[in-house]
Amino acid sequence: MEIIRDLIALLFFPSGLVLLVLSLFYEWVDRKLLAQFQNRIGPRWFQPFADVIKLLAKEEVIPQGVDRRLFIPLPIVGLAGVLTAAIYVPIMGMAPSHSFKGDLIVTVYLLSLLTLCMGLAGSNTIGRFSLVGATRTLTQLFSYEAPFLLALLGPAIVAGSWQISEITAYTENRWLLLTQPFGFLVALIGLMGKLELPPFDAPEAETEIVAGALTGYSGRGLALFHLGKGVEMLIGLTLIAAFYLGGVSNPLLFFVKTLALLLIMAGLQALLARLRIDQTVGVWWRYGALLVLVQWMVIIVSKGPVL
Amino acid sequence: MEEQQEVEQFMVPIGPQHPALKEPGHFLITVDGEIVTNAVVRLGYAHRGIEKATEERNWVRNLYLLERICGICSHIHATAYCLGLERLAEVEAPPRAQAIRVLVAELERIHSHMLWLGVAAHEAGFDSLFMYSWRDRETVMDLLENLTGNRVNYSANVLGGVKCDIDIVQADTIFMALEFLQERTRHYLDVVTSDAMFLQRTRGIGVMTRLQAEVLGVVGPTARASGVHRDIRAEAPYSAYPSYPVRVVCEEKGDLEARFVVRINELFESYRIIRLILEDLPPGELREKMPRRIREGETVSRVEAPRGELFYFIKSNGTDKPERIKVRTPTICNMMSVVKLAIGHQLADVPMILAGIDPCFSCNDRMIILERSHAKQEVWSWERLRQHGIEYYHGNHS
Amino acid sequence: MITTEEALTIATEFAENWLWTTETARPEQNRLDITLTTPDDLIPIVVGLRVKRLGYLSAISGLDLGAEVDEFELLYHFCIAAAVITLRLRIPRKNGSVQSLCEIIPSAEAFEREISEMFGVTVIGLRNPEHLYLPDDWAEDQYPLRKDFDPAVIRSST
Repeated sequence: MEIIRDLIALLFFPSGLVLLVLSLFYEWVDRKLLAQFQNRIGPRWFQPFADVIKLLAKEEVIPQGVDRRLFIPLPIVGLAGVLTAAIYVPIMGMAPSHSFKGDLIVTVYLLSLLTLCMGLAGSNTIGRFSLVGATRTLTQLFSYEAPFLLALLGPAIVAGSWQISEITAYTENRWLLLTQPFGFLVALIGLMGKLELPPFDAPEAETEIVAGALTGYSGRGLALFHLGKGVEMLIGLTLIAAFYLGGVSNPLLFFVKTLALLLIMAGLQALLARLRIDQTVGVWWRYGALLVLVQWMVIIVSKGPVL
Repeated sequence: MEEQQEVEQFMVPIGPQHPALKEPGHFLITVDGEIVTNAVVRLGYAHRGIEKATEERNWVRNLYLLERICGICSHIHATAYCLGLERLAEVEAPPRAQAIRVLVAELERIHSHMLWLGVAAHEAGFDSLFMYSWRDRETVMDLLENLTGNRVNYSANVLGGVKCDIDIVQADTIFMALEFLQERTRHYLDVVTSDAMFLQRTRGIGVMTRLQAEVLGVVGPTARASGVHRDIRAEAPYSAYPSYPVRVVCEEKGDLEARFVVRINELFESYRIIRLILEDLPPGELREKMPRRIREGETVSRVEAPRGELFYFIKSNGTDKPERIKVRTPTICNMMSVVKLAIGHQLADVPMILAGIDPCFSCNDRMIILERSHAKQEVWSWERLRQHGIEYYHGNHS
Repeated sequence: MITTEEALTIATEFAENWLWTTETARPEQNRLDITLTTPDDLIPIVVGLRVKRLGYLSAISGLDLGAEVDEFELLYHFCIAAAVITLRLRIPRKNGSVQSLCEIIPSAEAFEREISEMFGVTVIGLRNPEHLYLPDDWAEDQYPLRKDFDPAVIRSST
């Protein structure tokens, strides 16, 4: 029975099929909202599904000069990483199917695995655009990763646990957004950096380096990376909503809060122009890291000498 | 040692096919990390041999050929050609025709600058501005369609005048559209001068001092953004511009922001001129009769295209075909500045600097898209295609 | 700001007094043609125009005067206000060559490369004499803007 339960968790829910469908739905919401902000009509609801199915059906071109042993597994590893992360996260308001002490760190690490895979995928090819894109992807990873992690650890400290299920139990009906506004801000913007959304889309700035690290990918590999991005966005939104917005204890709250966050993110995407990679690094280390450290100081001081 | 350096150079090719370029051009950018150390430009991917082709056609057919040099600033090419030819033939187009020429030219400038605003914003990754400015550009396109029947390649000019008149209803439509555009333009000016994120990409980037601008020989808004007062409409007023004087819009800073500000302020200037013309449109005929053969002689015709000075040299040998037509488009003057300015900047700034001059490769290369009139499908090699082009324009076709 | 008339007067005086190998003409009201009789005069005249700040190089037009004359004519158009000052220089069709202006006017590079690939005029001192417009594999000794250019030759050579 145990095995069947695990298989369902991995292949159907919370990870697996339901998660993929849900992430594509969120991608559609994001695209539609952005289009509306930009005075466009935007895609119809099935467009992300059609994109992925089309890509999966297409021929996968393996460019010259790549290491096939790396080129083919990288998208699979990346997607597997984020799908695994999903089992520790309260997707759709359900309690995480697996949980252990310190699973927050594992989740954040698994999310970064996708970015690492993309960086590796870019540097594995000999294409100019991929190489520049890979450099930028990894540079960006190092700039937002620390502030993002620290921002997620803020709620963990007040909850006194690094286990997601315990933190969510603590934040239930406690809006940490009000007590830790900086942490929330950094976490949300960090998620945008992680997803390489505007204004942090320098790693895939199409007007400079075409598609960045993934320029060499086509067909299945591209589809898998694409899915991975979608899942990463969903998990990120879930974590932030659960930690800062008073928890996601039932599906209704989950959808309302994550979609509200998505609305903010789409608005920011429409509002801001792309930053250069050096400016991105500057923003993160100068303001992001500073804000989150100030937040930490406040938490530690208010919590007293217990820590 | 030198050879070793060659190997270590990391070159990023931009073009001929690249998302940053809406038309084919090729830039080979050598980078050190993210910093550009050298840039080389190669043009001609859109070369159609139009200058040669004009020698095979009569004066009237050339008007329509030259109008197709560029899809964005088509009217100004035809205007330059008509003005030059009318001077050679000693025919003067009636005042009403001249005013309508200028009107269409200013509408074209509006549509061109709006298009540029969108493209440049897109290069900077500011897609919202891109979407909005292109939506508003549709207003001008509709006006042009309403006036001339076409959204691009209006064919408003004929030798000795214009083909289309303006009635009161059309004038009213234009007035109303200008109100809307003026309000939108004010908003855009506000955005490009106050949006902090966008300013990070434009302020102090690609600075060209006044001296550099003069030495590099740039023209048009690019030069005016560096404080060079160079506007043919004001310096050497042609067509109806003597009756509707233009104020030259200038900025001193010479960076990308200045180029944005100059072009947007030029929009206001265009609105003003269009209003002046509509309020005071001279009555009379629309065209003067032109002779079929143009007397022997040569002339220079200079006009201000949306991208800068457009230069035509026309030589007639007394027949119904030109001896030589030389077209010097503004982009070629500005293109060399990109190569010089890019050095020392971030790779990310290169598309912005390129977009900053508002390049128009087709103008530059003077070619035409091959019309697929034969339904028969076959794969052509590059040579075959080129051969077809040469034959097509060498009169074998006619 | 110098006016058109002033510019033309200064340029006329300059051309007539300073060098005795030139002829000036006023084909149109705003135009001044300075005909150079020897190619050696080109550089000093251009330097002179630059020193007197008489306009910027707007274009270089090439003309093929046909087989009978057997010469090309290069027209260097300098513009200031409404004035167009044109330097006219004739060079032989065979092995014709002309000095590059790049040292004095960097923007001349594009124009000179165009002249050199379209007419087959050798431009001495051009830093990058490669094709700018024509394809890299364009047949040598084929120059499209010459009057005797025959597209059939290109077909047989490629």
